[in-house]
Amino acid sequence: MTTPMGTEVLDGFEEEPEKPRGKKAKELTGRSPTRIAFERLRKDKVAIVCAFFLLLLVLIALFAPVITKAFGVYKDLDDPNAPTPSEMTAGDGYPLFGPPFEPFTWDHPLGIEPQTGYDNLALLVYGLRTSLEVAFLATLVATIVGVSLGLVAGYAQGWVDSVLSFIIDFFLSFPFVLGALALAPIMVSRFGGSSESLSKAQFFALIGVLVFFGWMGLARLIRGQVLSLREREFIQAARVIGVPTRAILFKELLPNLVAPIVVAVSLALPGFVAAEAGLSFLGIGLSEGTSLGKTINSARNYYDSYPLYLFVPVATVMILVVALNLLGDSVRDAFDPKTRR
Amino acid sequence: MRLTKPVIALATVSVVFGLAACGGDGGGSDEPRGTANSDDVDKSKNEENVTQDPTRVDGPVEIDGATPGGTVTVLSAAGLNTMNPSEAYYQNTTSILTGLVTRQLTQYVYNPDDGSQILIPDLATDLGTPNDDFTEWTFTLKDGIKYEDGTPVKAEDFVYSAAASMDRTQFPEGPAYSNDYLVSGDTYEGPYTGKNGLDGFEGVTVDGNTITYHARLPFPDLPYWLTFAAMGPIPEAAAADPAAYAKHPLSTGPYKFGAYTPEKSLELVKNDQWDADTDPGRTAYPDGYNFDLQTASEKIDELMLGDQGDSQTTLTYDDVLSANYRDMDATDRLVVGGFPLTSYWAPDYRKITKLEVRQALAYAFPYKDTYRAGGLIEGVTATAGDSLLPPGTAGRKEFNPIPDHEVGSTDTEKAKQLLTDAGELGFEIKWPYANDDEQAVAVKDAIVASLEKAGFKASPVPSTVADVSTVRADPDADINVRPAGWIADWPSGGSWFPPLIKSTNLKAEGVGSNYSVFNEPEVDQKIDDVLALPVDEQADAWGDLDEDVMTNYLPLFVTRYGGVAQQHGSKIEGHFIDNTIGMPTWKNIYVVQ
Repeated sequence: MTTPMGTEVLDGFEEEPEKPRGKKAKELTGRSPTRIAFERLRKDKVAIVCAFFLLLLVLIALFAPVITKAFGVYKDLDDPNAPTPSEMTAGDGYPLFGPPFEPFTWDHPLGIEPQTGYDNLALLVYGLRTSLEVAFLATLVATIVGVSLGLVAGYAQGWVDSVLSFIIDFFLSFPFVLGALALAPIMVSRFGGSSESLSKAQFFALIGVLVFFGWMGLARLIRGQVLSLREREFIQAARVIGVPTRAILFKELLPNLVAPIVVAVSLALPGFVAAEAGLSFLGIGLSEGTSLGKTINSARNYYDSYPLYLFVPVATVMILVVALNLLGDSVRDAFDPKTRR
Repeated sequence: MRLTKPVIALATVSVVFGLAACGGDGGGSDEPRGTANSDDVDKSKNEENVTQDPTRVDGPVEIDGATPGGTVTVLSAAGLNTMNPSEAYYQNTTSILTGLVTRQLTQYVYNPDDGSQILIPDLATDLGTPNDDFTEWTFTLKDGIKYEDGTPVKAEDFVYSAAASMDRTQFPEGPAYSNDYLVSGDTYEGPYTGKNGLDGFEGVTVDGNTITYHARLPFPDLPYWLTFAAMGPIPEAAAADPAAYAKHPLSTGPYKFGAYTPEKSLELVKNDQWDADTDPGRTAYPDGYNFDLQTASEKIDELMLGDQGDSQTTLTYDDVLSANYRDMDATDRLVVGGFPLTSYWAPDYRKITKLEVRQALAYAFPYKDTYRAGGLIEGVTATAGDSLLPPGTAGRKEFNPIPDHEVGSTDTEKAKQLLTDAGELGFEIKWPYANDDEQAVAVKDAIVASLEKAGFKASPVPSTVADVSTVRADPDADINVRPAGWIADWPSGGSWFPPLIKSTNLKAEGVGSNYSVFNEPEVDQKIDDVLALPVDEQADAWGDLDEDVMTNYLPLFVTRYGGVAQQHGSKIEGHFIDNTIGMPTWKNIYVVQ
C-alpha cells in the first residue's frame, strides 16, 4: 500500500505498469474482481495486521522442530534425551524449575507442564502445528467437496439438484458434537492395534469429522451462485456452441465463483481451528500427541496456581482465531462490490 | 472392595479395580498416618493394625468436647452405585451404609492412638464363638434392637440377608464371600432368583437370639465378613422388591434415608429408633448428612480451599487434586492416610517365561514418572513398595524381591544388562491402556520411554476406559502384561494370595483375578498349606510366602501402594481415615458449634 499506485483506483493491464506511468496516469481499463479485491485488502490496516500475526504463527508452526532444538526442549518423551517427568516435577506434579514456584529460566521460557514435565514452549509450537495442519487440511477438503457438489447441484437442476440439496440438508441436520463423540470409541476399537496406527487414524478421523460436518455451507452458497449464473448470456452462449459441460463448469462458472469461495474459506479456517481445539478439549479429538485443546484441558485445574500454563495456549488459540476471523471479514468486504471505502 | 468409581471396577469375586495406576483416582500412602511415624511403622504393622476387642459391647460412645447439632455436607465426584445393602461393594456405598445407616453383627471403630481400626461387636454381644476348625460361628443378637419403623430386629433377618448375599444373579456386583465360604453358597441361587424362597439355604441357622453361620471351608475371618452391609439384618417383607429396597434400605443405625435421588444426592436424617446404649461404635452428633454427588472435582477443591459459609461444615472423601495439594496441605484441613491397595504389573506367566525378563521389567518400570503423569501425589496417594501385602496387613514383611533393586527406583541400565544376559534384548511388551483418559495416555508415554531405554520394545495396546478391564480379563488377548490393582476386604494375607496368584482353570474360570496367569503347582500347594495352618500362625506364614514367591518367581511387581488425601471444612472434627477402606471415619464426625 505504499507503492506509488497505492491510492489509485484504476490502472491498466500491462505487465508492470507502475514504474513507467507513475502517479498521475489515469486510464480506464478492465480489471478482474479478484484483483480489485486484493488492492482493497492491501489498504485495510486490520487485514495487514492480522495477516502479519497469521504469518508469524504459521512460521512458528512450520519451524517448530527448529525452535524446540534451539531451546533444547522436548514436547514429549519420544526423544531418548527428553527428561522424565520425575526429573522435572516435584512429588505433587509441580515443576521443579521455572514458574510458578521457581524463578524464570531461559531453559524453559514458558515453564514446564505439571505432572508430565514436558516443556510448555514445545507443547505450544507443536500444538500450533497440529491445529494449523488439521485446519488447513480440513478446509482444503471441505472446499473441494463443497464446491464440486455445489457446482453440480446448481448446474444440473432437476432430480440431481433435488437429491444433492436433500443430502446437504440431511447433513446439516446432523448433530456435530454427537457425531464426533460417537466416532471416538469406534476409532479406538477399529484402529486400536497400536498407539501409532491409532494416532494416525485419529488425525485423519478428526479431519474427516470436520469435513463431514463442514462442507454444506459452501455447497449451498455455490449452488445459489450457480443458479443465477447459469442463466447468464455467456453460459447460454457456451452451451449453444457446444462447449462440454465439464468445461462450462470449470472454465466458465468456477472463475466467477472465486470471490465467494475465498470468502467462505477465510471464514471456515478459524472455525476449524476452534473446532479442533474444542474437540481435543472434550477428549474426542487427538488423544495421542500434542494439541492446544489438550493442553488447555489439562491446564484448567491450574488456572489459579499456575496461570502461565493455561493462558499462553488460550491466548494463542484466541489470537489465531481472531486473526483468521478479522482477515476473513476483510476479505469478504474486499470482494463485496457494494462496499465502498 | 471396589473403588468409588464404577467404571474401573471389575466384576470378579471380591475386590479390585482396574488400571488404577492410570486412573488417578485411587491412591496411596502406606503409613497409616502420613510419614510422621514411619520409623515405628514396621512394628505396628504386624501387631497393632486391626486388632480385635470383643469386650466393647455397650454404648453409648462419647467424644470429649464434641457438640451435637449441625448438618454435614458431603461432596463427591462419583455417584453412589447402589445402596441395596446386599450389593453395596464400593468404597463409598459400603462405608456410608455401615458407618451411618445399617448395623451389622460386628463393626470397625477408629483407634485414635495409632490411627488403625479395631474390630468390635455391634449387634452381637461378642465377636462370635467359632468351633475348632472355624466352620461354625455362633453369635448372640442383642435385645431391643429396632428398625427405623419400630419393628424389632429378629435373628431370622440375618438368615435372609445371608441368603440374599448369595444371589449373584440379582446382585452381580455385590461381594461373594457367602458363596465362596458358607454352606450351600455353591448351590443356592438366592431368594430373588431361585423359585423356592429360602428352601435349599443352609448357611445360617437360628435358635432364639442365637445365630449360627455354617461354612464349607475354615473361615477364621468370618467376623470381618460380617462387617459388610450385606450381612446386616434385612427384613424379608421390606426387601421383597430389591430395587425399591435399594432406594430406602431400612436403617438400624443412627441415621435413616431422607430424600434420595440415586447417583445425585442423598439426605440422611436422624433415626429415633436407634438406641445409643446398644452401640459401642457409633456417635451421632450431627443432625444429618447431605450428600451432594456428581460434583466436579475442580469445584469440590475450590469450595474446600475457600472454606466459606456452608463449606465450613462440608467434607469430601475424594482425593484432593494434585494441583491443589500444596495449598490444601498448608491448611490443617487435609487428612491423609493409607488403605490396603496394591497396584501392580502382572507379566503373563505363559508369555514372559524368563525370570530375568520379569526382573528387567521391574527395573525398567518408571515408578515415579507414572505417579507424576497419573496425577498421584508421591508419598501420599502413591507410595513405592516391593511386597504384595500392603502395609497394615498382618504378617507383612519388608524384603527385597529383586537383587539390588532399591524400592521405587528405575534403573534402565541394569534392566538392559539383565535383558542382554538373558538374550532377550528387544523383547516386546504389550499392555492395554485407556486411550480416552488423558492421564492414562501420559502414564503410557512415560512407560514407553522408560521401557525403550531399557531395551524393550514397547507396544501399548489402546483401549478405552470402559473396555480396558474386559481386555485384561481375556486370557487370549494379545497382551503380555496386565496392569492391575487389588484392595483387600480385610487385613489378612488370605485375601491376597489365593485370589491373586493361585492358578485358575483358564477354560472354565478365565483369568479371574490371577492377572499374571501364574501357574506353579508348587506355589498352589504352599497356599493350601498356609490355609491349613492354625489361624494364629497364618499371618506370618503369608509374609514368608510373599517373600518366597516374589523372590523366586516374581509373578508380578508392585507399582505402588494406595493412599487417600481428603479435605474437610474448618468446623468439621473427627474426620480421620478408615484405613480398612480409605473413607472418612463417619462414626467420629461432629460439627463444631
